[in-house]
Amino acid sequence: MTDSNPTSPEMTDKDRLAAEHALRLLEGEELITARGLMASDPAFAAAVADWEEKLAPLYDGASGTVPPPAVWARIEAELARPARSAASANVVALQRRVRRWQIASVLSAAAAVALAFFAFPGTKPAPAEPTAPLMANIPIADTPLRLAVTYLPERSEMLVSASGLTADGVHDHELWLVTPDDGAKSLGVVVPGEQRRVAVDAALTRHINDGAQMVLTREPLGGAPKGQDAGPVVAQGTFVQI
Amino acid sequence: MSDADLAREELKAAIARLADGDRSALEFIYQATSAKLFGICLRILGTRDDAEDALQDVYVSLWRSADRYDPARASPISWLATFARNRAIDRLRSGKVQSGAVPVDEAMEISDETPLADEQLEVQQSNAQVHHCIETLEERQRDAIRTAFFHGATYAELAETQGVPLGTMKSWVRRGLAKLKRCLEA
Repeated sequence: MTDSNPTSPEMTDKDRLAAEHALRLLEGEELITARGLMASDPAFAAAVADWEEKLAPLYDGASGTVPPPAVWARIEAELARPARSAASANVVALQRRVRRWQIASVLSAAAAVALAFFAFPGTKPAPAEPTAPLMANIPIADTPLRLAVTYLPERSEMLVSASGLTADGVHDHELWLVTPDDGAKSLGVVVPGEQRRVAVDAALTRHINDGAQMVLTREPLGGAPKGQDAGPVVAQGTFVQI
Repeated sequence: MSDADLAREELKAAIARLADGDRSALEFIYQATSAKLFGICLRILGTRDDAEDALQDVYVSLWRSADRYDPARASPISWLATFARNRAIDRLRSGKVQSGAVPVDEAMEISDETPLADEQLEVQQSNAQVHHCIETLEERQRDAIRTAFFHGATYAELAETQGVPLGTMKSWVRRGLAKLKRCLEA
């Protein structure tokens, strides 16, 4: 065999990784690399989707199996369940509304960028205040990355940690607080790879409570243009009391 | 329009309705696709209990993710199959599976009653290039890729099953994938 190179010349490392990720062959470091690329490299994500689409017809000849009727009953029950499903159905509804809303952003993207950026006061104990801090973890779809948001009520400040995210140079991500009455309110553009401290407008703080929803949208650089619809929702999260 | 075309268009339309928040569309999608997707979950998870949990998760998640389907890009049944496969593999690897590894054969013996709708959805795809291309691979390459595809095996699991070093398995699969890519693009 003359082919000493395990990959063919026309397949770059990234092509190969896309195929391997589509097949879900990877573990460990390579898996982390692939997931990172899924989040940050649209060409890579498209290559994975292309492999998935091309491989899927392999299922054509494979036998199907009718599931027992109980499964559909459980699906219906889960979708109808008041507690969790009200929350999840709510999130779905909110996601859709966010996309359609003409969003009047309270904090313009420019203002968000101008917000003071300080080091995170890591070990400083939170003073006992009327309300305890709230936390939200926002997992980014299909990646192990998450955005961590902590709200400190006594300071009306949020700590937004996007330390695992990388900038793609084409998009920014904007965080929105979903309010029951006025739709989504911008909490500013997320700075990839940084942890920052953001002052929250007084008009918004009353909406930040246990169970409050946030969504993260993908926007052009600088954030959603004023007067236009927000971009696609890429992640969502809920504040919980800690 | 053939029956197969019609079935695909109906499924596309149902996914679009679901993305618009019409929950009743989910039942249509379930009727048309659950046997296929249950088969996919069974092969990956190995037991009926785990596959039923996974199937439930697939359709509940679909309700939230239907708007991620791009009809211009993928056939609806391919997209749904991939969606189910990925959810089932995530489940397999997240430790949510309770029963552990059980011979897949047990799951495979279950009756084969693919409903008509599923068959119609497949007619158009049965000539897909991948069927031809996969046959052009060496047997060990083909077996490894098929096992990874159908059972959700990782490189390490493939190597262990075949009793070969990890590097050897990676090399087989990578050669196979490169050849597959050339053939698929030909």
